Amino acid sequence: MLKEALFIIALLVLVAGILFPLATASRNQRIHRTISHGCTVAGSAALALFALLILITGEGLSLTVYQPIAELSLSFSADRLAAFFLLLIALVSACVALYAAEYVEHLEGGSRRNLLCACTNLFILAMALVVVSANTFAFLVFWELMAGCSFLLVMYDYAGPEIRKAGIFYFVMTQLSTLFVMLGIVLLYGQTGSFDFTHTGVSLLSTLAFIALLLGFSIKAGVIPFHKWLPYAHPATPTPLSALMSGVMLKIAVYGLLRFLLDVFSPDLWWGVLILVLGIVSAILGIIYALKEYDIKAMLAYSSIENTGIIFTGIGLYVIFASYGLTALADLSLLGALFHALNHAMFKSLLFLTAGSVVHATHTRDIERMGGLVHRMPYTSALFFVGALAIAALPPLNGFASEILIFISFFSSVAIADPLFKVFLFLCLGLFALTSALSAACFVKAFGSIFLALPRSPESSGAKEVPFLMLLGPGLLAAACILLGLFAAQLFLLAGLTVPIPDMFLVGLLLLAMGVLAYAVLFFTASREVRVTGTWGCGTPSLQPAMEYSGHGFSEPIEIIFSTVYRTEMKNERKFYDAKNCIFAEGTADIRLMKIFEEYLYLPVARFSYQAATLISRFQNGCLDTYLLYVFCAVIAIIVYLGWLA
Amino acid sequence: MSLSFIFYLVINTLVVLAIAPLFVSIIKKVKAWTQGRRGPSLFQTYFNLAKLVKKETIYSAHSSWIMRITPIVSIAAILVAALFVPLVFVPEPVGGIGNIILLLYLLALAKFFMAVAGLDAGSSFGGMGSSREMSISAIIEPTTIIVFAALAFVFKTLNVFAMFTASVASGTASTPTLILLAISLFIILIVETSRIPVDNPETHLELTMIHEGMILEQSGPNLALMELSSAVKLTLLMALLINLIVPFGLSTTLTLGALVVAIVLFVLKGTILAGIIGLFESSMAKMRFFRLPSLFIMAFFFSTLIIIIEVFI
Repeated sequence: MLKEALFIIALLVLVAGILFPLATASRNQRIHRTISHGCTVAGSAALALFALLILITGEGLSLTVYQPIAELSLSFSADRLAAFFLLLIALVSACVALYAAEYVEHLEGGSRRNLLCACTNLFILAMALVVVSANTFAFLVFWELMAGCSFLLVMYDYAGPEIRKAGIFYFVMTQLSTLFVMLGIVLLYGQTGSFDFTHTGVSLLSTLAFIALLLGFSIKAGVIPFHKWLPYAHPATPTPLSALMSGVMLKIAVYGLLRFLLDVFSPDLWWGVLILVLGIVSAILGIIYALKEYDIKAMLAYSSIENTGIIFTGIGLYVIFASYGLTALADLSLLGALFHALNHAMFKSLLFLTAGSVVHATHTRDIERMGGLVHRMPYTSALFFVGALAIAALPPLNGFASEILIFISFFSSVAIADPLFKVFLFLCLGLFALTSALSAACFVKAFGSIFLALPRSPESSGAKEVPFLMLLGPGLLAAACILLGLFAAQLFLLAGLTVPIPDMFLVGLLLLAMGVLAYAVLFFTASREVRVTGTWGCGTPSLQPAMEYSGHGFSEPIEIIFSTVYRTEMKNERKFYDAKNCIFAEGTADIRLMKIFEEYLYLPVARFSYQAATLISRFQNGCLDTYLLYVFCAVIAIIVYLGWLA
Repeated sequence: MSLSFIFYLVINTLVVLAIAPLFVSIIKKVKAWTQGRRGPSLFQTYFNLAKLVKKETIYSAHSSWIMRITPIVSIAAILVAALFVPLVFVPEPVGGIGNIILLLYLLALAKFFMAVAGLDAGSSFGGMGSSREMSISAIIEPTTIIVFAALAFVFKTLNVFAMFTASVASGTASTPTLILLAISLFIILIVETSRIPVDNPETHLELTMIHEGMILEQSGPNLALMELSSAVKLTLLMALLINLIVPFGLSTTLTLGALVVAIVLFVLKGTILAGIIGLFESSMAKMRFFRLPSLFIMAFFFSTLIIIIEVFI
């Protein structure tokens, strides 16, 4: 009873959060928006409590809201998997709402901000409802609601041409995703004859349904090569919403994939290999592209692609181990994927929020124009640093706790009998390790360029620390990153899982003890004289910002090493006065980063569909006679068809 | 946590702190001999550390708390990592201490802080060092993880303690795969401790320095901590190699006699390995930075070969 009550309260509070700012939109007052965000926090808290109850007791909930006909119903059910994702949604939403309550007030747009608040609440509500959908029909309805809301959120600043382009790009991609999900669900209906999440056998139809669903979810999750909307949409969206989209919405796609894999399909080995390869490719390319990015939000977007790749890797391993009958290992990799989904939600929203604070303070997204912010925004920099440590998978933070699970499953793949397959998995392991090392490099660069050394622009040197609420939200997320890492082993025990993960709390204690010891020894033995002076500027009177190592410079070696991946096109045409090419006359040089996926995948597909559409549109010539002819033909066809049947 | 494990924590930390500077000196000595010089005293590294501790600390006005906490975090991470590799005495593992993946990432933790601190003061040398270090550590990572996976494969465990116990039990572990593994581990050791041909620990020349570039702005006791942590890192990687390949003498019971024998034998074996490292460094020149990936790719295929051999035989 308590659970139903909590669930309904959570939904109602969120609905109140939608309606209230809409009703008061004409008045444009801060208090209305604050109340709306308060509703988000309260609703999320109720949702989190509800999810925790289910996670701990293990007893689910099922609730039918509306049933127009027998096999079609709008009903909810929550098991532990759903509860886990609900918890993720609730935690991130609450922290983001705290941040947004302050952030939204600094946005431009007058009472349009009320709509933003309403839309945010609707978005959160839609995501929660996708997760608790009891059948594929409800799933699809709320999936589309979520997609629509997120499109509106991307288009908040609709005046800018770049933002409109990003919005349309996002709209097309997200509708494609819905289309494939719908196709998959329809195919499944054809197979089973019901909209429930029921097990189907192995057949061609269910394989096709799987492919369609995988495509749909991959587009939404930002798996390479369907990732291009992320680096467009995230910089365009207001920061709290980027955090929600990257931290939570991508995970909803992961939830969808898992729900169908676990409850509906009986996966084959090659499905697992497909998911694993998609995951590894996304992880490695995602982080390589992130290293090249200088727009802070686009960089975080690429890093989200990497982390989605890591989650997909875990899921792929799960399917592979499950089809080899290695249940324990399969569970371990699944756990790794789930835990990484939760952890990524935490540290990525933390990073997005703090990045948003930085952008708010410096009015630029270009990390080359930042620098020196550690002195000007000390709290924000510390919070970002926690996020960077977590995402670089460093112990004892949470990013490491989930990656080690996937590492352990890779290491244990020895149990598979097929030798060639073992070698394949070990190669994947090598690439997987490369991604985590590259992400460390990426975030050293990000933290160094944004916060350290001298400010590289006047905006950056005039930056101020953000207000309290914009520190509280990220602060809670940072605490979650640390706690989820330190107590990972204990949490698994609490959930009744035996996981071969090292006790990170012990490691944390040892680290602390060693640090204290080193400090104490130095305190009693070493000289305590301290002198503060300028950095040596190679003989120049003072160190100039231009002399620092820039972000471009930092990632240059990696860019050269991976130049084949980046596909940089260099043109260098020179003309000389003499025959021996000594006296330079004129020339042009051009370095261009090829957008491989756009040029070779997106544009051809777009052109093809445009041509097809042109072809079809010929039928629609606007002439009434032609339409009457169509109707006539259709009627004849129906009569013939019915006559045949009879 | 048993009493013997607490003893282990104390003994291992003390031994590694005491021995680490010695190995650094031995390598320097060997390199000096091959160049026809007499070289510094074997205790010179200890003297250097003592001298640095007594000096004042100088911070750049542009630097932040990162610069101030990095030395402590670095030494803490490396010392905890050293606990994962028993030098002279192997107890029963407790709470996942000894997990080989965690060991790798503790080293990465120290490296991350070091690289961030390199950018802190705004000097271009520091940035250069950080950038190169992170690039190198990224591209060596696949090799390292494959070698560690191969180790886990051969010993059927993820725990370094259990690996050592197994190799002690089998006496001399000179199976062909282990010899191949030793070569790969040696390459990792060279790369991770920034030695020739990857980096040159001797110079402060901007064209060559990587590790030295990152710690260029550190001074006084902080510099001492950084130097000590890189010495400890060298020692722990050497111990990993030694105790896997020539484990004899490694004590599995906590008795005074066994410990003394183990320490003496470890110092002897370490001296020989340090000599080999010194000779190896003297035998070649530093490679151009962008030639390094091909070296690493070679090491990668080498280590994959171990896996393939192990899988098919």
